[in-house]
Amino acid sequence: MDISSIAFANSLILGLSIAGIFFVAALGLTIIYGTAGVINMAHGEFIMLGAYTVYALQTFAGIPYFLCIPVAFVVVGAIGFAIEKSLIRYLYDRPLDTLLATWGVSLVLIQGTRLIFGSDPKYVEIPQFLSSNLEVGGLSLGVFRIFIIFMALVLAAGVWFIFYKTDFGIKIRAVTQNREIAASFGINSGQVYSFTFALGAGLAGVAGALFGALNIVLPTMGMGYVVEAFLTVVTGGGALLGSAIASLAIGELQSIFALITNSTFAKFLIFVLIVVFLRFRPQGLISASGKRR
Amino acid sequence: MIGGFFKIDNIEKSFGGNKVINGFSLDVAENTLQCLVGPNGAGKTTMIDLISGRQKPDAGKVYLNGDDITGWGEHEISRKGIGRKFQIPAVLKGLSVRENLEVAYSREVNALRNMFSMRARGCAEQLDEISRQVRLTKRLDVEAGLLSHGETQWLEIGMVLMQDPAILLLDEPVAGMTENEIGLTVDILNKLKRTHTIILVEHDMGFVRKIADVVTVLHMGALLAQGSIEDIEKDERVRAVYLGTEDTH
Amino acid sequence: MIQNPYHNKTLQWLFYLVVFALLGAVPLISDDAFLLNQLAIYGVYGMLAVSISLCWGSGGILNMGQGIAFGLGAYCMAMTMQMQTQAEGTIPPFMLNNGLDALPWIWQPFQDTTTGIILALLIPTAFYLIFGGVMFTARVSGPFFAIMTLATLSAFATIFVDLQPYTNGVNGISPPGSLNLGETEIDPYSSGAYWFVFALLVACTVAAKLINQSRFGLIVRALKDDPERVRFLGYNVAIYETLVYALSGLIAAIAGCCFAVLTQYVSPAQFEVGFSISIVIWVALGGRNSLIWAMFGAFTVQGAQSYVGDQFLSTWILILGFSFILVVRFLPGGFAGLVETILGRAAKPEMGADTANLEFSDAKEVAK
Repeated sequence: MDISSIAFANSLILGLSIAGIFFVAALGLTIIYGTAGVINMAHGEFIMLGAYTVYALQTFAGIPYFLCIPVAFVVVGAIGFAIEKSLIRYLYDRPLDTLLATWGVSLVLIQGTRLIFGSDPKYVEIPQFLSSNLEVGGLSLGVFRIFIIFMALVLAAGVWFIFYKTDFGIKIRAVTQNREIAASFGINSGQVYSFTFALGAGLAGVAGALFGALNIVLPTMGMGYVVEAFLTVVTGGGALLGSAIASLAIGELQSIFALITNSTFAKFLIFVLIVVFLRFRPQGLISASGKRR
Repeated sequence: MIGGFFKIDNIEKSFGGNKVINGFSLDVAENTLQCLVGPNGAGKTTMIDLISGRQKPDAGKVYLNGDDITGWGEHEISRKGIGRKFQIPAVLKGLSVRENLEVAYSREVNALRNMFSMRARGCAEQLDEISRQVRLTKRLDVEAGLLSHGETQWLEIGMVLMQDPAILLLDEPVAGMTENEIGLTVDILNKLKRTHTIILVEHDMGFVRKIADVVTVLHMGALLAQGSIEDIEKDERVRAVYLGTEDTH
Repeated sequence: MIQNPYHNKTLQWLFYLVVFALLGAVPLISDDAFLLNQLAIYGVYGMLAVSISLCWGSGGILNMGQGIAFGLGAYCMAMTMQMQTQAEGTIPPFMLNNGLDALPWIWQPFQDTTTGIILALLIPTAFYLIFGGVMFTARVSGPFFAIMTLATLSAFATIFVDLQPYTNGVNGISPPGSLNLGETEIDPYSSGAYWFVFALLVACTVAAKLINQSRFGLIVRALKDDPERVRFLGYNVAIYETLVYALSGLIAAIAGCCFAVLTQYVSPAQFEVGFSISIVIWVALGGRNSLIWAMFGAFTVQGAQSYVGDQFLSTWILILGFSFILVVRFLPGGFAGLVETILGRAAKPEMGADTANLEFSDAKEVAK
C-alpha cells in the first residue's frame, strides 16, 4: 500500500466516523420531523442537555459513564415530553411557528444552562479503554469513534424495532400516513406525537452523552451539530433509512473532499451539492410522509 | 391543425404501477358544457389534474386551439385559457373576498409590471358584475376563511369567472350546496355556456340533466360512453356500471 | 362600512409620517455624537426588520439567513472604504501578513468607490436571485426553505473565516478612515451620518410599503395563503417568491453598507446564525405583518438589550427567549396584532350595533 491509498483509506474510515456522528445527531430530529412534521430547532440544545446530564451525574453522583447514557436518554426524553405537552402540541398546524417557538426554547435552554453551570467548559470522563487509538497497518481511528459508530448501529436498530415491531410503532406510522384516518381508528394522535417527541429528545440526549465525551461540554455546543443534523434530515427526506443513507454519503464525501482540499472548503462543497440535489429532489431521498407536502 | 377546439388524445397516467387513466380521448367543441361522470375512482379528478397541469401524463397529448399544451406548467396552462375550480374549495383564506377576486383577475401576470401597478384596469367593473352574479356583494370585505361552505363554493366559482378563461374546469361545483343554491348555479352555468366552454365533473345525475350538452362517462380510466343525456341514461353498459353489476371491464 | 382604523390606508400613511418626522428630528434635539451614531445603528437594525417583514410577513417566506445579504453588503462596503485609504499600488496590511504581495482580483473592483458601492448592492441581490430562484422553482418552501437559508448562512460564515488572506479571517476588516463620497466625508459620529441612514431607512420602508400595496404585494400575500391556488390563476409563483426574497435581500444589503460606514468594522460576526435569528425575533415581537411595528420591535429589543448592559445580559436573553415563545404561541401577530385587535374592539360598538345599521351601510357600499 502506498502513501496515498493509505491516506485515502484513512479518510474513508474517518468519513464513516463522521457519518456515525451525523447519524446519531440527526436520529432524534428525523423521527420528530418524519412523524409530526415538526422542525425542532431546540434539537441541538437537547444534545447539550444530554452532555450536561452526564457531566452532572459523574461530578455529583460519581456514576460510571456507561450507566449515564441511558439516564441521559430518560432525563432529556422527559424534558422533551414536558416541552411537547406545554408548547409544541398547540402549534402542529403552524409549521413555521413551531420552528420559531422551538428556537425560543433553545434560547431559554442555553441561557438556563449558562446560569446554572456557568459558561466555562466541562468535561465528561470516559473509561480508559475508550480513549485509546486503534492502529491496523497504517490505518488508525480512536476507539471512541468506533464506539460512536457502534452506537449509531445500535440506536438505528432500536428505532427500527420500535417503528416496525411494536404496537406503538404501528400507531406512529399510521399517524404519519394520515392523521385523520388514524384518529378514526381510535389512535390518539396527540399521545403518539408526545411520545415520539419524547423519544426524539431522548435520542438527542444519548447523542449528547456521546458528543460530550468527544468534545468539551459548553452551553452553546448544540449549535455545532444542529445545522449538520438538519441538512442530513432534509437530504434524507425525513425517513430513518433516508437519514442513514444521507449521513453516510455526507460523511464520506466530506472526508474525501477534505483530503483533496481542506476541511472548511469540504463543508462548503457538501453544502453546494445539497442545494443542487434539492433542486432536483426537493422531497429528499426517501419521503417519510404519505402526503405531498 | 389537429382537430377541434379542445382535444385530449389517448392519454395515460399511472400511480405506482396502477393505471388510473388508460388511453382516454376526448373532443370538446367550443361553447358547450361537457359533463364528465363516472363512479368513484373512475379517474375524473385525475383527468382534471392532467388537463390543468397539476399532474403530467405518462403518454398522450392535450391540445387547445391546435396547440400542444401537454406537460406545460400550471400557470402556463392557466394563461393559455384554462381555469380551474377545485373539488375541495380552494380560496385564499387570509384575504378578503374582494382581494380573492382581485387576485383572480389575472390579466397581467408579469411580476415586475404588477409591482408598479396599484390596481388592474377593468378589475373594479368586472368585480362588481361577478360579485353580484355569485351573490357576494355584501360580503366583499369579509375574510374568506370566515365564509360558510356554500359561500366558499360561490367565491371560488367567482374567482374562475374573474379569470375569464376560455375553458372552465369545474370539479363538483355544487357539492354541499342547498337546493336553492344549486338552482342558482344551474342558471349561471346555462348562461355561461353560451360564451364559454365548460368541462364539469359531477356525481349527481339530476344536476347533470339540467345543464349538460354532452355527457361523457368515465370508467376505470377509459371512455365508456358519450352522448346526450338521454342516450347515456338508456345505455346498458352505463347502467351496469352505476348499478354495480359489472359485466364490462 | 366602518372599518378598523388599523386597516385604514390613509391613517397608516399618517402614522408613518408622524413616526418618521419624530425620528428625523432627533439630531435637532441632541448633538451627542456617540448617541447619534448609536441611534443610526438602530436605524440599520430597523432596515433589517423591514426587510424581514417584507418577505416573511407579506410572503410567508421565513428567512433565517438575512445575515447573508447584510454581511455581503457590509464586507463589500468595508472593502471599498479600505481601498479609499490605500495609497496607489499598496495593499491592505493584513494581506501582507497573510503572504500576499499584490491585490487579489476579487479586491480589484473596489478600488473605485462607485463600482464598490454598486457591487455592495448587486452581489447580495444577485446571490438572492440565484439561490431563491433555485429553491423556489424546486418548490422548496416553508420550514425547509428556512433551514436552507440557515445552512447557507453558516456556509458563508465558514468560508469567510477560511479565506483569511482575502477577508482577514475572524478579525475582519476595519478600514482606518470613514467613507468619502466625492468630496464629502461621512463621519460616522455626526448628524450627517444619522440623516444619511435615516433617509435610507425611510426610503426602504416607503418602498416596501408601496410594494405591499401594489398588485405584486397582493399576489405575494395570496401565495402565502395557498401557492398552488395562485399558480392555477396563471401566476408564476416562483418568480414572485424569488423577487420578494431578493428585494428583501437588497434592503438588507443597504443596511449592511450603512453598518460598515457607521462602525468602520466588519467581521464574520455579521454572518453569525444568532444575529440573523435575532432579526426574526425583533420582527416576531413587533409584528411580522407590519413594516413599522417590525421596526419598533428592532428598536425595542436592541434598545433594551443595551440598556440592561452586559451584567444582566444572560437574564435578559432568558427573558427574551421566554417572551419570544409566548408571542409565537399566543400572539402570532406580535405587538402589532395586539394593537390591531384593540383598535378593532374600539371601533366595534359603532360597527355592529344592530343588523339594520349594518344592512344600510352595506347598501351604501354597493351603491358606490
